[in-house]
Amino acid sequence: MRIPQYKIKYYVLGFYVLLLAAWQALYWAQLMPDFLFPSPRQVAQRLWELTTDDYLWPSVKATFKRMGIGFSIAASIGLLVGLAMGLSRVVNGCLRSLFLGVQTLPTAAWVPFSLLIFGLSDHGIYFVIIMSSAPAVALATSDGIQHIPVIYLRVARTLGTPAYAMPVRVILPASLPGVVTGMKLGWTLAWHGGVSAELIKSTIGLGFLLQMGRELNDAAQVIGIMVLTVLFGLALDRFVFGLIQKRILAHSGLAPRSPG
Amino acid sequence: MNGTESNAPVAAVAAPAVKLKLTQVSKTYPNGAQAAVALDPVNLEIREGEFVILFGPSGCGKSTLLNIIAGFEDVTGGEITLDGTPVEGPHHDRLMMFQEHGLFPWLDVIQNVMFGLRRQFRFKPRARRARAREFLQMVHLGEFEKSRVHELSGGMKQRVALARALAPDPKVLLVDEPFGALDALTRAKLYGDLQEIHQRTRKTIILVTHDAREAACLGDRVLVFSGAPGRVKAEITISLPRPRDINDPAVGECAAGIMAQLEA
Repeated sequence: MRIPQYKIKYYVLGFYVLLLAAWQALYWAQLMPDFLFPSPRQVAQRLWELTTDDYLWPSVKATFKRMGIGFSIAASIGLLVGLAMGLSRVVNGCLRSLFLGVQTLPTAAWVPFSLLIFGLSDHGIYFVIIMSSAPAVALATSDGIQHIPVIYLRVARTLGTPAYAMPVRVILPASLPGVVTGMKLGWTLAWHGGVSAELIKSTIGLGFLLQMGRELNDAAQVIGIMVLTVLFGLALDRFVFGLIQKRILAHSGLAPRSPG
Repeated sequence: MNGTESNAPVAAVAAPAVKLKLTQVSKTYPNGAQAAVALDPVNLEIREGEFVILFGPSGCGKSTLLNIIAGFEDVTGGEITLDGTPVEGPHHDRLMMFQEHGLFPWLDVIQNVMFGLRRQFRFKPRARRARAREFLQMVHLGEFEKSRVHELSGGMKQRVALARALAPDPKVLLVDEPFGALDALTRAKLYGDLQEIHQRTRKTIILVTHDAREAACLGDRVLVFSGAPGRVKAEITISLPRPRDINDPAVGECAAGIMAQLEA
């Protein structure tokens, strides 16, 4: 039997209720002590305590500030380098192999190196964010440029567009859908890298709260912050980048105006 | 619409100057040891306001010749002059309209039409929108200037592409099978529009097609190409009165004559 689309959300809701119930059941089974495996209620309570103790908000703000700055730099670098790769086959040949290689590194693997170079300053976190996400943005941008339909370039040339005006007037707008996809992926990787770096390098931030939870043997805090990190990451991916992507695709007629 | 009286081809009414001149233009593609000849030397004079058709089967070099005139391909030998001046490389004085409309989806309709006006300083910034609007009205799409490209039908897109190609006032309009992807009814309407625009603007047009009826319907002069290597096999002047209807038996008869030249 085919389940109608509008009913799917009830199934999804049911799934999460079941997941919570399973967690609670595992807790009741008392396989592990409380401080290692807390109940959902204990996690929620710990998060509430962190909020009222004025620990959570400053950390969330600090993480978002770092992410905002770091990702803006990473996206700008990625865009420019990606543009250069899209325009020059030589640049593309060199950097594509390098970036594909670099991308096989887990984002957290940049942390030790950044510690050596930058010590415990915030610069090291920016460094990790940039190294995690700029290559992905650059690769997606150059892919976007390479997949521009040739007809746009031919039309622009016959309409008298000089070579120096091509990037701004044709190449970037035509590759925008690919660029936005790259930004979305880059944001996810930046989020990974940023939180990983905060684990080790900071005295404030979501990563710091995770690490603090571990040091205090407080599993409720660790789980709570993990859940929060997932939710923030998801919210930004869905609502900020998702909506921008939808707007751009709809605006350029490359996707339907309403999802369906 | 007083077509019954004027039997002379329109291009012969005035005594127009030679607009585009091709002297011994040839094209060879390097292909390993031996070279593939795409186009045997072509000599051609196209007069101002003339509507010339390059007709032939696929692979006969007609599109190669159009691409050469547009500046997308280099010549292997020979020379092309426009108004007596040698030309090279793409330029908006030899503007090409493609089989795919190639409208930019990130711009709306009027911005698409204005695209080619940007680099032309003879059109002042403020005059550009007005000029674009004028050409949109000419293709009967005046009220669609704010539309997005994907909201238009195939025929409308091709008409916007026509307006975009005309707005920069090219000296020669090059048209590469622009109606191939359209249905017959839409096409018939566009044949009418294109002839009307040709009458009004006296634009020099070179159109590539493999449809003999289309050639007979639109052309003042049809150059019949044959392939391997590409060369001009025959030249036919069509003096049917305009505007011509694609379904007119006289056009059909003319088309049969063109086909006969191809097979001769």
